[in-house]
Amino acid sequence: MDSGVNMLCFTASFAVALALEIAGLWTRPRWRRLAVVFAAVAGIVAHTWYLGVRAGTSPWAPLSSPHDWYLAAAWALAVIYVPVVLYQPRTATGIFLLPVMLALIGVAYGASRDPIPTFAAPRFWGMVHGVFLMLGTVAVLLGFVAGVMYLIQSYRLKSKAPLSQTLRLPSLEWLERVNTRSLGAAAVLVAVGFFTGILTRLATVEGEVPWTDPVVLSLSGMLSWLVGAEAFRLAYPAARRGRKVAYLTLAGFVFLVFTLATFARHDTVHGGSEGRGARSEEKSEAARLLPFAPRSSLLASRPPSAEAAP
Amino acid sequence: MNLRMVGCTHRATGVDVRQQLAFGENQVGDALDRWRERFPQAELVLLSTCNRVELYAGGPSESACPASDDLVDALLGYHRVPAERVAGQVMTLAQREAVAHLYRVAASLDSMVVGEPQILAQVKQAYQRAAELGSAGPVMHELFQSALRAARRVHHETELHKHRVSIPSVAIADFASRVFERFDDKHVLVLGAGKMADETLRYLRDAGARRIFVVNRSEERARQLAASCGGKAVPWSDLWRQLVAADLVVSTTAADQPVVTAAAFDEHVAPHRQQRPLFILDLAVPRDFEPAIGERLSVYLYSLDDLAAACELNRQSRVRELPAAERIVLAETDAFIADAHRRAAAPVITGLRRNLEEPKLAELERLFKKLPDLDERAKSEITQFADRLVNKLLHPPLESLRDASLEGPPQGLLDALKRLFRLED
Repeated sequence: MDSGVNMLCFTASFAVALALEIAGLWTRPRWRRLAVVFAAVAGIVAHTWYLGVRAGTSPWAPLSSPHDWYLAAAWALAVIYVPVVLYQPRTATGIFLLPVMLALIGVAYGASRDPIPTFAAPRFWGMVHGVFLMLGTVAVLLGFVAGVMYLIQSYRLKSKAPLSQTLRLPSLEWLERVNTRSLGAAAVLVAVGFFTGILTRLATVEGEVPWTDPVVLSLSGMLSWLVGAEAFRLAYPAARRGRKVAYLTLAGFVFLVFTLATFARHDTVHGGSEGRGARSEEKSEAARLLPFAPRSSLLASRPPSAEAAP
Repeated sequence: MNLRMVGCTHRATGVDVRQQLAFGENQVGDALDRWRERFPQAELVLLSTCNRVELYAGGPSESACPASDDLVDALLGYHRVPAERVAGQVMTLAQREAVAHLYRVAASLDSMVVGEPQILAQVKQAYQRAAELGSAGPVMHELFQSALRAARRVHHETELHKHRVSIPSVAIADFASRVFERFDDKHVLVLGAGKMADETLRYLRDAGARRIFVVNRSEERARQLAASCGGKAVPWSDLWRQLVAADLVVSTTAADQPVVTAAAFDEHVAPHRQQRPLFILDLAVPRDFEPAIGERLSVYLYSLDDLAAACELNRQSRVRELPAAERIVLAETDAFIADAHRRAAAPVITGLRRNLEEPKLAELERLFKKLPDLDERAKSEITQFADRLVNKLLHPPLESLRDASLEGPPQGLLDALKRLFRLED
């Protein structure tokens, strides 16, 4: 990028934070925690800069291409990570959270940077659709990380393992709270994201929802699971506690992986990844159909026949 | 500086002798007053805990510090314990050994439970008491401040204190705190009213526990324990309801059969808890809770054996930290002794400087009278020249003194300097 900030900058910062977290399994010098926070904050600054530059130079950023969408989700996780490190300074939360962030960045690197060629829709509703699904994904990922830590902590307590000075985890009570809230938040956020997508689609010229589209189908499945799991949790008191919530969030993660895998396919209504070298004519066609681009830039690039384009 | 320590510790002295020599809170002041009358020039600090009775004495010169035998006599005399009664059990240390011993005591390296934190506060308290009573002066101030510094270094630079070794502290800090984020909103149930329950409740109170309920077959004992920890006594018949409501259970009954069987737990407790986490500390021997209860969902059951195993691992972890702690004590002892030696040389250095300063000033005055036409700038230059000359003349002997102080009291060198420069007066 022109600004000199590229993906390597924040990836390296987060990788350093992860390396410091892993090094904490063997040695914990006093400066380590400060260095972790410094690396994470540096990563967030570079990450924000990168997303900001993309939003400024590309009419379809920051959420309209799979590349930007994954990076925005990773950015949200990074922003959550820093207060967690400060609130739970002695725990090794980063060992679980940072790999998820880096995985998202890795997926973003390989994902298409072209706009998602969905359907003509007002920019606002397109943004609502994208933002809520992204936040729902973040909530599911947080629940997954908390669920994994819960199961490990619970196993160690059941097996009466002595307190580890290096791989410390938050208390079961705290993890359960994060788990529960993540599940509830994920159900609401994904539901809002899903239904705004449906309503926006119904409001377009075509006026129908492609229910058999793999992304729509898998997202419906994930939403059904999240709503069902949340309803089960609210109705059945035993499911509000302990390992059951952890299992529910882990299952939510499986649904998420499946949905993201379909999202990466290019034969869906959301288009998807064709690698980094997409042809320029495809780009301009995508921009023409872009739902999230600023209205002015969309109108400027739209040919007269675009009014009738699907 | 002269330092001595006499006393007894858990390492060499039986508990019966230690009890005879121990000083109660009210006796410390009285004993120090009496000993000050007997040794008016000495500075004294008395450290008396469950595991040790130690009397530290010091003074700026050898004559000011009492002999070890006199100190032992004073210590035994206060309690009228005959010397034969403690033969071979009283320790006497002087100078470097006394310093190193105090450092090891303050850093909890000499404690019965190595790394226990209370001893540092006890050492600090002993010094403060002596200072308030006027029996501790600059010598004891230097010694005890440096001991506290050494202990703090051991605390911060090693992991000696990070591994808890008492059953209640391990139970609460290493296990319960991994289940619960906070304790102030938790329902704590105490079964039985044994000593271990009392100690565990102290840790729980420190951790913030406020909702404490005590169930005991003897309601009187339950009320006593509840009153001591700000809890509430409930009748034994309420046991199942209490177990349903509890988050954390501390059990220390003297029952010879399990108080809570797995079958009873499944029938009276589990169905009503909705798998809410339950942390059970079964500190009773024999056990109050059947081990099978620990296999139930969201139940974390710890027996004395489980906790003892964790304590033993922590103890081994502490042992691994000992060499690093001993190195710190050694370095701090070396630094203190070198400082003390340097301080011993201070009067000689002052005398040496004075011996050169006085002739310098006299010669400058004579010169300025002989040369009345000198302007201020020339006078200033000449004065600076004289200062530099004196400093250069002093530098080699002072350096030699400093170097010699690192290895021991530079008595020979000091005597030579005194004679060479006629510093006796």
